[in-house]
Amino acid sequence: MELDTVIRECLAGSQGAWKTLMDTFAKRIFNMAYQFCGSRQEAEDRTQDVFLKLHGALPKYDFGKNFTAWLLTLAKNHLIDEYRRTKWEKTQRDEFDDRVLAQPAHDGPETSLVEKETKALVWEGLNRLSADMRMVIILRDLQGKSYEEVAEILSLPLGTVKSRVNRARIQLAQVLREYRGGTS
Amino acid sequence: MTCQRFEELLSAYLEGELAAAEKAVVDAHLATCPDCAALLALMKDMTGAMAAFPEAEPSPALLSRLYAIPAAKREKRKFFRPAFDWLTRPALQPVYAAFTVLFIALSFVLFHPEGRGIRKQINVKFHRGVGTVEKLYAEAGSIKGEIGALTGNVVKSFNSLGLLGGDEKKQ
Repeated sequence: MELDTVIRECLAGSQGAWKTLMDTFAKRIFNMAYQFCGSRQEAEDRTQDVFLKLHGALPKYDFGKNFTAWLLTLAKNHLIDEYRRTKWEKTQRDEFDDRVLAQPAHDGPETSLVEKETKALVWEGLNRLSADMRMVIILRDLQGKSYEEVAEILSLPLGTVKSRVNRARIQLAQVLREYRGGTS
Repeated sequence: MTCQRFEELLSAYLEGELAAAEKAVVDAHLATCPDCAALLALMKDMTGAMAAFPEAEPSPALLSRLYAIPAAKREKRKFFRPAFDWLTRPALQPVYAAFTVLFIALSFVLFHPEGRGIRKQINVKFHRGVGTVEKLYAEAGSIKGEIGALTGNVVKSFNSLGLLGGDEKKQ
């Protein structure tokens, strides 16, 4: 079923269409929230908030727009607002747990070990970035969005997004260097 | 090329977005600057790891809470609507607007850092206004008295001059 049809059916009150919408977007929004706030419990609460907001805002959705970008903008705004309101940056992130975030390694054991360590450091390092920098890294590098999509979600000019991504990567690389310097 | 300029171009370099001439300048800088070369290596390592970042699965409990959102909202609406429905009538919009303006003005007077001064000024202006009105009333009263006295005098003068025939005949 096409996304627009699903949304129209949701607006008409179809429970099945709402379930389809959740099955399509729940994982994406949950991961965005989890990567942003670092705590599974917090991410579940924020995901629920985002979809509650979506349910309220759906009648205002403009069918001429990109629904995914619209939803991600809604999620981004909510996550950043909550972050500023509650200051989760002071809370600790969950352990980077491969049992929870499992994915098969595609290289040899040595590469896999280095990659795993880097992933764990990136996971920890995200907490050291400001809300805006963290969000831009999540959208571009963790969620794999194009620069154009990130610009649409953040409602920023393309050039600003590119330079912000670059600055965020450099900041994260410096955090990684610190962690590695500390451990070696 | 400076290290700062290299940092500005780092993502574009990594993503192969630089023009050939600019890429050559960056390559030349990398060959002579071990710090920037180390940063590039770290960045490659990091972006590679992030591209293959694992995704977490939302728990079944979360999914069932998400599926239940429309039903939960319907229930909530059912509970609140009869009691508070009248508050959302469009006819009340001007009332809300008037109250909003009133509250803003009131909060400005009450909570403004210089609110005490403002209240004092209002007080002084108000009392000055009341004083002016009282003065005007008093002046109006005295003018009325003067006009009355003047009228009496004029009548008396007419009488004494015998201009008012009726009275003369009586005498």
